[in-house]
Amino acid sequence: MDIRKVKKLIELLEESGIAEIEISEGEESVRISRYPKGSVVPQAPTVHYTSAPAAAPTPPAQTPGEPTSQATPSAPPVAPRAEHTVTAPMVGTFYAAPSPGAKPFVEIGSEVNVGDTLCIIEAMKMMNQIESDKAGRVTAILVKNGDPVEFGQPLFIIE
Amino acid sequence: MDAPSRAHQSEARRRRLVALLADGGFHSGQTLARKLRMSRGGIWKLVQALREMGVQIESLPRQGYRMAHPIDLLSREEVLASLPPETRAKLIELDVLLTVDSTNRYLGDLAAPEPGRARVCVAEVQTAGRGRRGRSWLAPFASGICFSMAWQFAELPPGFPALSLVVGVAAVRALERFDAREIGLKWPNDLVWQGRKLGGILIEMRGESAGPAHVIIGIGINMRMPADVRIELAKHHAVLVADVHEVLRERCPSRNALIAALIEELTKALESFARQGFDGFIDQWRMLDVLQHASVKIVNGDQTVFGIASGVDRDGALLVEVDGELRRFISGEVSVRKQEVMPPEMDGIA
Repeated sequence: MDIRKVKKLIELLEESGIAEIEISEGEESVRISRYPKGSVVPQAPTVHYTSAPAAAPTPPAQTPGEPTSQATPSAPPVAPRAEHTVTAPMVGTFYAAPSPGAKPFVEIGSEVNVGDTLCIIEAMKMMNQIESDKAGRVTAILVKNGDPVEFGQPLFIIE
Repeated sequence: MDAPSRAHQSEARRRRLVALLADGGFHSGQTLARKLRMSRGGIWKLVQALREMGVQIESLPRQGYRMAHPIDLLSREEVLASLPPETRAKLIELDVLLTVDSTNRYLGDLAAPEPGRARVCVAEVQTAGRGRRGRSWLAPFASGICFSMAWQFAELPPGFPALSLVVGVAAVRALERFDAREIGLKWPNDLVWQGRKLGGILIEMRGESAGPAHVIIGIGINMRMPADVRIELAKHHAVLVADVHEVLRERCPSRNALIAALIEELTKALESFARQGFDGFIDQWRMLDVLQHASVKIVNGDQTVFGIASGVDRDGALLVEVDGELRRFISGEVSVRKQEVMPPEMDGIA
């Protein structure tokens, strides 16, 4: 499933009053819930993504692992992989690179350490360097260079 | 000799040579060689290195070397001597550099100062000065002020996104100490005079949405911008520039005096901002806002919007009336859809 579709679903969920949606498309299914299990504190939507066993191989960038054991009944147990969503700490414009035309801070597949700069969010000429608070591999970049972002909007998935 | 100390020695020699030539008069290669305890060939190499940094040095047979214009060099001692004791007490360090890639980068690599104290760096020239979105800021050697201050807020003040606007107000206050009049601010933080750009601000921040925030405040002010650079900027970047020299003419302060005023006004403004947020600055901003009532175009990502600029809100966001509806903008490139920027509002006088 295209990561942009997942992003769109997250936006739909945010706009609506729905707590959770699950979509199946062919052999893949995705469930997006507003509140993680056992949590009562509202926060940015959490994405649980499952690939069905017979699914055709998909690029790694599009198959973020299952974060917890909340696999859908149809899916076999998959090795849990820690997945971490980096969200925007402020409203502003998302920049992937330090300057126009420069190499992006990170790309899909980049290995990052805690404290590495992932992107810049600019608002009123204040450039906020967003640093990774987890070490791992960037498996998804959910916004594109120059996009306006909202507070709490998911930006990256680090596995 | 290891590499760092060799680099240090060559930096020290370049500084001394610039200081000797700063008066704008001719100095023979022989005299310079004697004063710097180098060979004449060594002096020639130093001159070449300085020319590569953009220092305009002329050489004439039998007369020697001279600078195209006399310059007032940056001096740590002069800046410190101009600071009142209470401001000086807040200053952890003042680094005066001949050349650096970027004064913001230089301070960003150092530890954050404790809240309430500042660390400042100024340089004669920045080889990779950062403008907005990393556009290189073109400022020839000693033609302007390349200034950065590191500061830490223990917690985020209300209206924190408006920090850029607060810094703009402080920079105007510093210039007004020398009787500069009619300097305005174009949202979010360009300093303008007669519709032309006098300076700019770029803030870099590290920190979380809650908790302490480490900011590096970069301010660039044109002091004496050579004609060829003005033409270049107008032609290739569509930027019309002004400099402090044309604003103040014979009353133009030395760069050291203006830097001292900037340090003082900025530390005052940051302390006040930490206490009361943007609310304490919003009236001052309104007085300086050159976009007020102007017909503007805002380009933000793929989006272009036309409207009438209608001031800022309590977070410093630009308010624009678009088809009878008030919309707020927190980023984007704003341009005025007129031949010239409107003069600052005269509300204060009326």
